[in-house]
Amino acid sequence: MNSTHAIIEYFVAQGVPLETVSLLLVLPVIATMIAFFRQVLGMKAFGIYTPLIVTFAFLATGIKYGIALFVIVILVGMVSRVLLRKLRILYLPRVAITLTIVAFVILALLVAGGAMKRTGLAAVSIFPLLIMITLVEKFVATQIEKGNQTALILALETMIISAVGYYLASWEMLKEFIIVYPWAILLTLPINILLGKWTGLRLSEYLRFREVLKRIT
Amino acid sequence: MRMNMFEFFLKSQKILGMNSRNLNFIRSCNSRSAKRLADDKIMSKRALGKGEIAVPKLIAKIASTEALDKFDWTTLPGGFALKPNRGFGGEGILVVYGKKKNREDAWVKADGSIVTIDDLKNHIRNIIDGSFSLSNTPDIAFFEERLQLLKLFKPYAYKGIPDIRVVVYNKVPVMAMLRLPTKDSGGKANLQQGAIGVGIDLASGVTTTAVQGKNKIIEYVPGTRLLLSGIKIPYWKDILQLAVRTQEISKLGFLGVDVAIDKERGPVILELNARPGLSIQIANLAGLQERLRRVRGITIKTLERGVRLGMDLFGGEIEEELEGISGRKIISTVEKIKLTGKNGVEVEVEAKIDTGADWSAIDTDLARTLGLAETIEAFDARSLPYDKLKDMTKEERWNVFKDVPQIVSTIPVRSAHGFTYRPMVEMTILIEGVSLVTKVSLINRSELKYPVIVGKRDLGRFLIDVKK
Repeated sequence: MNSTHAIIEYFVAQGVPLETVSLLLVLPVIATMIAFFRQVLGMKAFGIYTPLIVTFAFLATGIKYGIALFVIVILVGMVSRVLLRKLRILYLPRVAITLTIVAFVILALLVAGGAMKRTGLAAVSIFPLLIMITLVEKFVATQIEKGNQTALILALETMIISAVGYYLASWEMLKEFIIVYPWAILLTLPINILLGKWTGLRLSEYLRFREVLKRIT
Repeated sequence: MRMNMFEFFLKSQKILGMNSRNLNFIRSCNSRSAKRLADDKIMSKRALGKGEIAVPKLIAKIASTEALDKFDWTTLPGGFALKPNRGFGGEGILVVYGKKKNREDAWVKADGSIVTIDDLKNHIRNIIDGSFSLSNTPDIAFFEERLQLLKLFKPYAYKGIPDIRVVVYNKVPVMAMLRLPTKDSGGKANLQQGAIGVGIDLASGVTTTAVQGKNKIIEYVPGTRLLLSGIKIPYWKDILQLAVRTQEISKLGFLGVDVAIDKERGPVILELNARPGLSIQIANLAGLQERLRRVRGITIKTLERGVRLGMDLFGGEIEEELEGISGRKIISTVEKIKLTGKNGVEVEVEAKIDTGADWSAIDTDLARTLGLAETIEAFDARSLPYDKLKDMTKEERWNVFKDVPQIVSTIPVRSAHGFTYRPMVEMTILIEGVSLVTKVSLINRSELKYPVIVGKRDLGRFLIDVKK
């Protein structure tokens, strides 16, 4: 096995936990991956922030609980839209109510899990839970702007990207590689510049324009 | 297989994707200030009005909750449209058609539901709060005159006004579509919400292919037998000119102009779009990238020239498309055809396309030039009065004529001199590049305008356009 890079050893010697260094260094890789998913594959998700932060939430909760939480939050978002539609209220109060409902549901889940002797979820620190709960705002905003169906598709894309991000970030080989060759992270810069200049069709657009492609001569 | 991949790659190069649109067109052609103008409906209305372009008239605007409280509701007419100033995708638009009978504080929507002042206030508060604006920033609500639906569009549009999107680049209109509100789209002319987009031939302003929603190619208005192709958009050239003029005023290099046609005022500009969507390519089943590439870098001096170029470059595809769909050529009622006779003699001649005749016929003089003189003479020498021939069996009749050179059969025809039997011979006819081997009758047509008629039997591979 290769030895840890001198600079990483220096960071750790200064009191920064290795886990933190490793996560901070893997962040650019995940961000670049999300950019790739958007520009080349055409998966939009909820921008770059949401899939990134959800990836880290997944890392904290574990993928099983992470996805379960994600699905629950989205389901509650959908249900509360139906419930709140009749009220016809302004945006922020509406999101606040939705957040309240999500918080209650999660709390109920933790309690129910505890009662059934499944404390895995309750043992999770509060921050990933909060991240997942606030996800609902993004979802509600998208519902209002682009409709239920689009919001659902984007949520699904976010989940997929975050899951891929999760597996990427918890891949031992990558973690070791980053600690041995931290400078390699700088490679994400030219990759992103290339992605930013990429003007070809996205993979999803081949699907979107399939009828046009059939007819063009 | 490799060839196919390469062809596929070339095809995909003709389509404009999101990446290319953003980087090559929006980023490089549309300045920030121009985009700001396009995103601000009141501002663009004012700028266009100054340029003497017809826009729906502004009735009133409400920028704050204080203004909302003080607003005098009696100033509103019976019909109006309430819109968010910086809305997008047709969201947040409320249209009423008239005041509720015997009530001063209520209006009626297209679906018959009632809108009260309280409803309006609520909606306006939502607008001001930014519920419908880009990135939820606080917004202004405004009332504008309601446009009146053109009779022509009535059967096609569901509770709303169709509009025409024209994409303009470098002063040239490059692609256009008609957007029809449907039940699915809730009366909104927005494709994402399920409206219909119908491609338009730029030269003629006639609709071609259609898509509903994101990807469903359709031919008819859903639930009806109403064809979506072939609708002739009125004021077509005016619309294109308005679109180009709008581009000049807005200073957007690449934009989508939304035009509606009012029953009384004619074409009016509804709004500008600095980030035109890509679905227009599906409605037209054509690639935008290729069209933009052809227009890029050309210096267009005048508006008329730009419109002309757009019409010439991106029009006239209807015929080819129809031909593509049906696999049949379109011909007019008179066509130049080529006949190939005995010994390969070729004659080019104008023929009448006659769906009233079963078989094609050619004039005897023409037949002589085609080397069929012998046939005609031999036939006439053996010919008998019609009554006699008529009563014979087919075999008996054939026995009379079978020795005539080239003859393949006989046919009874009615001419100015009554009924007669005429000979038929084999002939190769070339019409619009289609070569047919068929049999034609030889008849004296010297008194008639065209020496040849082409009949039904030979027209199976054609569509006839009487206006061509």
